[in-house]
Amino acid sequence: MNGTEPRQQIACRARNLSVAYGGDPVLRAVDLEVPAGVVMGIVGPNGAGKSTLIKAMLGLVTPLTGHSEFFGLPFAKARKRVGYMPQSTTVDWDFPTTVLDVVTMGTYASLGWLRRPGAGQRDQAVQALEQVGMAQLAARQIGELSGGQRQRVFLARALVQAPELYFMDEPFQGIDAKSQQAIVQVLHRLRQTGRTVVIVHHDLATVADYCDQVTLLNRSVVASGPVARVFTRPNIRTAYEVASSEMEFLEFAP
Amino acid sequence: MNLTLGTMLLAVVSALACSLPGVYVVLRRNSMLVDAISHAVLPGIVVGYFFTHNLDSPLLILGAVLSGLVVVLGSELLVRTGLVAGDAPQGLVFPALFSIGVIMVSLNFANVHLDTHAVLVGDLNLAAFRQLQVAGTEVGPAYLYMMLAMLAFNIVFLVLFHNRLKLSTFDAAFASSVGLRTGLLNTAFMFLVSLTVTATFNAAGAILVIALVVVPPATAYLFSRRLDVMIGGTVAVAIAGSVGGFWLSYALDAATSAGMAVFYGVLFTAVFLATRLARSIGRRRATRKLGAQVERRMPATTD
Repeated sequence: MNGTEPRQQIACRARNLSVAYGGDPVLRAVDLEVPAGVVMGIVGPNGAGKSTLIKAMLGLVTPLTGHSEFFGLPFAKARKRVGYMPQSTTVDWDFPTTVLDVVTMGTYASLGWLRRPGAGQRDQAVQALEQVGMAQLAARQIGELSGGQRQRVFLARALVQAPELYFMDEPFQGIDAKSQQAIVQVLHRLRQTGRTVVIVHHDLATVADYCDQVTLLNRSVVASGPVARVFTRPNIRTAYEVASSEMEFLEFAP
Repeated sequence: MNLTLGTMLLAVVSALACSLPGVYVVLRRNSMLVDAISHAVLPGIVVGYFFTHNLDSPLLILGAVLSGLVVVLGSELLVRTGLVAGDAPQGLVFPALFSIGVIMVSLNFANVHLDTHAVLVGDLNLAAFRQLQVAGTEVGPAYLYMMLAMLAFNIVFLVLFHNRLKLSTFDAAFASSVGLRTGLLNTAFMFLVSLTVTATFNAAGAILVIALVVVPPATAYLFSRRLDVMIGGTVAVAIAGSVGGFWLSYALDAATSAGMAVFYGVLFTAVFLATRLARSIGRRRATRKLGAQVERRMPATTD
């Protein structure tokens, strides 16, 4: 595969990105390139800075050094083409709002901030809920949902934005099998229609199933590229800092 | 307009002006920040009086609002250093400001006419005393019109920023990712809260204004599953509580703001008990239904 990949358009790239919380460096000089039309998994141990990388690229965390671009533009100019699905822990689940209402929030930015969403926006939201198999729960208060259902609602909200590039922070964390299946289906459909998806991912066993490309991250990039080339035992061992004797840990890698 | 009616209207308008921004204060879990702001405005009022010698001067109000914002921005700054955790930063900033104000008042700085009692709970009747005259006829308390302007300003702000406040309160990370400047919005909103608290100071004082801001939305929150319902419920509770509280204190010849706070408390308790009761009835009904289903599926085989 080496060297024979066709030259692809780049959906987003980070250059020399470093981030620190307080005096503690979390990311060191990260370079990342995501070709358009792939599902890119960002994989690494706890505290490797996976979520921070996404947040720094989207300007939610101010980086110490470096910059990011999306379709060749700074984020502020490409915002409408980029969708973000945060980790579900950052949200206020006691907020008085329904599933349909949360998904409709995805239309606010395109509506212009002053207009109230109308029937058109509601239809978009219902459609997105159908895609993730949640339409029958549209009237539910969001606090009454299970973890997997919550993730699907967030995915629907990102779908409503209709971006070309999706960032998903741990979409598969702590969810049921049915929700997992629904999210994977959406992921595949997005790839088929030429969208680019960047997911922060936890589970090494499913990396090869869900992702075309993978970035192994542990505060800096260990390796990044097509799964077949990058997702190897030596790379995983380096990223997870495990001894070569602990082989059962590496059973997923080719 | 007679004095009683004017005072009651003042109570209702103040209640509405405070409780509408209160919806977001409660949802953002910032309730005690209102207490901090309402204490911190005191030195601003005293210093403002020193320069203007007029308690209704816009300059004085601006000074008070700015010293209220010192708490908001100062405690955010302290939180960001990571050295002081939780809501301790508020506890560090506002007592200092409030005590500076108290010392200024007790030293009779600038001969400001504020007695400590009025600083704490306000005096609605006194505030309603000065009448506005238009073409020689009295059209009601001058303060009523100021609070009406405050209410109108709050309504305009909250309508204009409804989508933004809702999104940034519910999911701040997503809000910034779609281009909402959440920090700026938060400061603007806190400016509004600070302004409202300052405007209500004469009517409710430093302590009871928090009841006007927090209790109606907290009551509506008990039964609301949608933000629009919560806003409507807040308006209803604010009106019912201020009218009820006004007549309670009128009958007892007590401070109006205290009467309103007590009546608010009664309303909250009643709604709380009602939602509890409704939930336990619902649960009992569900249990009965479940029991019937189970029996139908496997008819009793035991004796």
